[in-house]
Amino acid sequence: MATSAHRGAVLIGQCIAHNTRNAAKVRVKRLIFDSNINMYFPKHKNYYAHDPDRECKTGDIVVIRELPERMSKVVTHSLVKLVYKFGDVTDPITGKKVVVGQYREHMDERDEMFGVAEDGSGGFKYSEAPDRGWQQDKRDFTHKVGYQKWHEFEPGHRFHNDPVAS
Amino acid sequence: MPFMKGRAPIRRTLQYLQSSNLVLKDRVKIFTVNYNVYGNHHRGAKDFVFWHLAQLQYNNPAVQVATFKNLTPTPFIRVFFENGEEALVDLDSRPRQEIVEHIKKVFCKTDTKLAEERLERESKDNPANFGWGCDRQCICEVPGQVPCPAVVPLPRVMRGKYKFGQAVE
Repeated sequence: MATSAHRGAVLIGQCIAHNTRNAAKVRVKRLIFDSNINMYFPKHKNYYAHDPDRECKTGDIVVIRELPERMSKVVTHSLVKLVYKFGDVTDPITGKKVVVGQYREHMDERDEMFGVAEDGSGGFKYSEAPDRGWQQDKRDFTHKVGYQKWHEFEPGHRFHNDPVAS
Repeated sequence: MPFMKGRAPIRRTLQYLQSSNLVLKDRVKIFTVNYNVYGNHHRGAKDFVFWHLAQLQYNNPAVQVATFKNLTPTPFIRVFFENGEEALVDLDSRPRQEIVEHIKKVFCKTDTKLAEERLERESKDNPANFGWGCDRQCICEVPGQVPCPAVVPLPRVMRGKYKFGQAVE
């Protein structure tokens, strides 16, 4: 069953971690009909999208379009637009920044009204926080593909305390 | 209803899936619904997804139908077209039936257009055809044609072994 049946087909998906550079790996979920139960189940397919500016990070929801011809051995699609940034969603109806069920400006007003705890547990300051990516390779390893850890390496070994091992 | 399990298993009947007339226009490629699982103003959107999303996908197998839960405070539908443009539909505090009517009016083919397309599909099937996939399998079943040689032997004039003489010497 061809998901992008013709050239130029647009799909929406979520970016996931990958080992290829200069591309974004996008997981596209399509609903597949099970004729036994007459129900739809999500099935995902991974596509590599051409992203020269590296603007989409792991977890972002993006729209990709199939290229007229394959750009490289794996890259078949190109990025059209970044719909929802991971952790930094902009509500398209109002144009304001949101956090799940509330607007960020409402959170700021509430903090102003009730005050923030001195020890820092008052909450994350979205307005002052830098853009996502400043902790990449230091504390944020979501861009790397994880693997199962089967062996404990001694301290001094290069894989000792590898952050992408689970 | 086979496998009468789960909430509202009527949604999983072919009759229910085929009963909807929500056929999206050809321009529409991606149909996404954003809603939260809590909140009264999301109830209409949640009900729309519960009752009508399977119908929508059934009628439009080429369209990618997706849902995004618990992302924004207000529910909406975001539709992406072939040329990359998008359209937004605000669903805040709107009941399910209103949402269905709105989608039908804005994004779907009209009932007259659907009837026209159905008529076109039926007229393409010529009733005079015979063979695989048609009512009659062979020309011998057509009244007025030569009857099946398995039933009635052909006259020698029509048989190749008599027309072209004795083959093996």
